[in-house]
Amino acid sequence: MSTPLEKPQIISHIQKGLNYTVFDSKWIPCSAKFVCMGNFARGTGVIQIYEVQQGEVQLIKEIEKAKPFKCGTFGATSLQKRHLATGDFGGNLNIWNLEAPEIPVYSVKAHTEIVNTIDGVGGLGIGDGAPEIVTGSRDGTVKVWDPRQKDTPVANMEPIEGETKRDCWTVAFGNACNDQDRCVCAGYDNGDIKLFDLRNMSVRWETNIKNGVCCVEFDRKDINMNKLVATSLEGKFHVFDMRTQHPTKGFASVSEKAHKSTVWQARHLPQNRDIFMTAGGAGSLHLWKYEYPAQRSKKDADGIEMGVAGSASLLQNVTLSTQPIASLDWSPDKQGLCVCSAFDQTVRVLIVTKLNRV
Amino acid sequence: MPLIVKDYSWTQTEALVYINVPLKGVKAGKVNIFSTDEYLKVNFPPFLFEVILYAPIDDNKSVAKIGNGVVIFTLYKKEESIWENLAIINVGKETLQKKREHAVLKAQQKAVADTEAKAIKKREDEKYALEIMMKLEDEERKRIEEKKEQERRRATEELEQWKEKQRKEEEEKKAQQRREIRKLEHEKKKDELKTHSKSLSECPRKRTVTKTGKSEEISLPAPRSAGSIKIQFTPRVFPTALRESLVAEEEAWLKKQADARRAVNADMSELKDLKEEERNPDWLKEKGKKLFATQNYLAAVNAYNLAIQLNHKLPILYLNRAACHLKLRNLHKAIEDSSKALDLLTPPVADNADARVKAHIRRGTAFCELELYAEGM
Repeated sequence: MSTPLEKPQIISHIQKGLNYTVFDSKWIPCSAKFVCMGNFARGTGVIQIYEVQQGEVQLIKEIEKAKPFKCGTFGATSLQKRHLATGDFGGNLNIWNLEAPEIPVYSVKAHTEIVNTIDGVGGLGIGDGAPEIVTGSRDGTVKVWDPRQKDTPVANMEPIEGETKRDCWTVAFGNACNDQDRCVCAGYDNGDIKLFDLRNMSVRWETNIKNGVCCVEFDRKDINMNKLVATSLEGKFHVFDMRTQHPTKGFASVSEKAHKSTVWQARHLPQNRDIFMTAGGAGSLHLWKYEYPAQRSKKDADGIEMGVAGSASLLQNVTLSTQPIASLDWSPDKQGLCVCSAFDQTVRVLIVTKLNRV
Repeated sequence: MPLIVKDYSWTQTEALVYINVPLKGVKAGKVNIFSTDEYLKVNFPPFLFEVILYAPIDDNKSVAKIGNGVVIFTLYKKEESIWENLAIINVGKETLQKKREHAVLKAQQKAVADTEAKAIKKREDEKYALEIMMKLEDEERKRIEEKKEQERRRATEELEQWKEKQRKEEEEKKAQQRREIRKLEHEKKKDELKTHSKSLSECPRKRTVTKTGKSEEISLPAPRSAGSIKIQFTPRVFPTALRESLVAEEEAWLKKQADARRAVNADMSELKDLKEEERNPDWLKEKGKKLFATQNYLAAVNAYNLAIQLNHKLPILYLNRAACHLKLRNLHKAIEDSSKALDLLTPPVADNADARVKAHIRRGTAFCELELYAEGM
């Protein structure tokens, strides 16, 4: 048994109070800078770039635009260009060059309502294949965009005619193990999780977890699908083992109850895909480690392979705020460094220690 | 009547008085001593020894030793003097009595004072113990805080070092880029001089020298061919998100709504023939819609008739029946139904704006067909 001081510690390194509501924060790859995106009280959108310097964050740049920003990602740009793709309250998808933010590099009216969520794949030297961005919106559609193709999405997952729309709350790319394969996983507010295969343009798997889905994330985007974490309302999250799909039962999963409130985010550590952190509605962060079962798949009564889920154990938890922590991002360059932002208008830089000894 | 002991002996010095009282065979445990500043009593049944002292003594300091068949008192005088006698003689019974009472009172007071003092001391002791505990815990906490601080400091230092490394790498890369560009320009100049004399076939070679400052254009696959996936959602009546804890409440609410829409007069005799399903106006409405879609307008009208019979307050039923009548060219009936629908939709709010528009359109169309154009307007 490890003594209390040998467990990973979550240390709040820097706290910065902001004068706007911040919805998302992301590290700029290969640097000690991060961006915060949000919404000024006057109804305009703001992107601020901060640099971590000696125990403090310095504001490097502030960009104000007409519509408030809800989400952003660096996932689809190259390491040299580092363009930020954002979704805003007006349903627009824009890609900005942060050095020259007056005109977006790419802009399209992606959805008729707010873009709730965005993810990018194919950039940053991770994985093969074309860079693509997926957005999910309150209008119930999930669209995949290629920055080289203007105006029309390369894939559109929309409800059948006449079907009532459910808000899409989260999207994630996965299974991008070669040029052709891609999967998009989308979570909706009625508890639906749908896995779309972009190669076959079909729904590969769907399920309902009985609570609105706040966040889905694959443990790695660029490998054969391994694990998927889906967090939801009512303090629950599920970890699906994505290696073995049963024709009727789908994927095996284990679920945990934590936080006693909505689990807003789950993010895997870039350096270790079995460690992830969940952020809760009461301002708490829990650090989990997933342990694989002895056998990852077994044969069921009919001799068909089905997956076996492992278990998630809590490594550490800390309460930083009284308001929900809406966004969380690990630094891809330094293990244990992460930035999180909460609805109390603060952004915090955290250091999680001893992760190499877990 | 206790026996008064008279064969006691006493000695004195300037400051002390020694009294020796024989116990006469009574066990030491049975001896009861009562003393104050001026009065001394030893009670060992059946014997009694009491004396009113000549001068006051210091009761707190004085000591009584019981043992070996005697009680030895060592009394400290309050004032140093030589007493003529141990006791005050020539005292009347009343004085004696008064003195005794006085002594008892004094003793009581002393007892009270003693208990108070004890209580105070106890409290002080407890407070002290508590303070010590708090100090210990504080120290413990401080120790943990320090360890955390240390970790934090170490992590911060590592971060700074890593940043420095990043910065240096960036600068190096930039310097290298600059060098490459310069080299390239240099080469270009050389090439230019050459091509002045040489043929244009040299150009392709020049062009292929890519700028190494920018990364090589990796050949990316073409954008995906556009596709669309149609999806269906798990049905949900409410526009809010699904929460497990509210599912039971939602079900109860829906059930209540459905019951409210059912026929109030469930015992209409014609209805006894109908199945449970067919008594539900909602179900009938759906049936009517389906029949309308399959162009079975008469059957649709029947369905709506029954539905209206069950619940004549639902404007949607009249609207839909109006549409059916239009298709059947029963224009008067269509007008009637749309008007009734409009009546039911009288509070003109945004919610039933759509429904009202439909009603107006259907009525207007019917009027136009009847060539009562003015009415149609």
